[in-house]
Amino acid sequence: MVDLAGNFLSETPLSAQARQALNDAFDQGWHDPRKLSQHSSRARILLDSAMESLGNSLGVRPSEIEPIGEPALAPHLAISGLLKPEDTLIYSQVDRKEVFALARRQKSTLELPVNRLGNILLDSLSPTVRGVLALQGANAETGVIQDVEGISAAFPDLRLACDYSSGGVRIALPHRWETAFFDAKSWQGPPGLGFVAIREGAPWKNPLPHLSNLRSPQSLCLPLIIAAAVALEEWIESEKKQAQRLRTLSFELRSEIALSIENCDIAGDLSTSLPHITSLSFLYVQGEELLRKLEKKGFAVDSGSACTAEDLKPSHVLAAMGLLTHGNIRITLHHGVDQVSVHELISAIRTAVSELRTS
Amino acid sequence: MIEIDCTGMLCPLPIIETARAIRKIENGQAITLLADDPATEPDLVAWARMTGNKIEVLAASKFLITKTV
Repeated sequence: MVDLAGNFLSETPLSAQARQALNDAFDQGWHDPRKLSQHSSRARILLDSAMESLGNSLGVRPSEIEPIGEPALAPHLAISGLLKPEDTLIYSQVDRKEVFALARRQKSTLELPVNRLGNILLDSLSPTVRGVLALQGANAETGVIQDVEGISAAFPDLRLACDYSSGGVRIALPHRWETAFFDAKSWQGPPGLGFVAIREGAPWKNPLPHLSNLRSPQSLCLPLIIAAAVALEEWIESEKKQAQRLRTLSFELRSEIALSIENCDIAGDLSTSLPHITSLSFLYVQGEELLRKLEKKGFAVDSGSACTAEDLKPSHVLAAMGLLTHGNIRITLHHGVDQVSVHELISAIRTAVSELRTS
Repeated sequence: MIEIDCTGMLCPLPIIETARAIRKIENGQAITLLADDPATEPDLVAWARMTGNKIEVLAASKFLITKTV
């Protein structure tokens, strides 16, 4: 096992404060908040307090949020809940695979292309189209941010299901939205927990089989929700100090790679991207080999494109943007990452790419 | 015309083989590439953009690459 000098993976450990909250919650909040006992009432108070905090942080009313124990179910709840059989489901070429799966079931669909920078092109979207627009706030693979406010304003008759599972609270929700979904991982919260926000008055119906008026399966884990609320409050405070620093580090990363390694695609433009995600593709390089070489040098990064034994399909996101799909790595800059580690990573990438191209 | 058969090869091998083959021909000449990895087409498009060469899809898994630089 190689000691990692730098974690540039999308995942990161829970902060000490969130971990403490999780432990405390398992001690005090393990009762089912839906039952009638005194302990359950206490658990209910803890849950309400956590949901209040989450609502405030996410910019939605606490009563509008549903915690989801399976984050991958969130797109289904958010999108299918708004869809009627006669509607057109509109989504983009760089959308999540769950959205493509939903589109297979809908009679009328419209897939919007993107440009080289990953921005959605709206020319094919007629103002007369009626239905639901699945709108990504930001793309998980490239970090490219969409102009959600502009798109929302341009198509006032479309119902909006906003995917904020990657952008989280880094980007604001548009003024007009019907549903939105989040993933606690986007603010370094616990994995395995998502949230669906259903705006008050939205024409939403629970798309899952149900007997009561509950809006979600209620498979909630109270300690995880409490840890997510604590992590989000902590993350927002930290972001105030870190945002500009991460943007500067991201600029250095992008410009030094572009200057020192030829034939490299860098996804998106930093000015319209989440600063903590950078997707790089190197011509003539096998992505998995690059990943392994970097790991041997002590750096953990993600692979954005497939080309592995498990999945032979290239990244649909990179392909839609007209970017190289092989030799791809994704670098995530977490709060607290230091400049020295980023520059060591740049140097390691430079050496690894050079070695792989000459081997 | 040179034909390179990269059927069964995974990315980025078809692109590497294409780059090797194109070095051996003159400007204006072309090669045919057979490659069934689904990443070949998007990666050839990106390769052509980066290197300035021209590509054309002839059929499923069959590409014409013209040296233009």
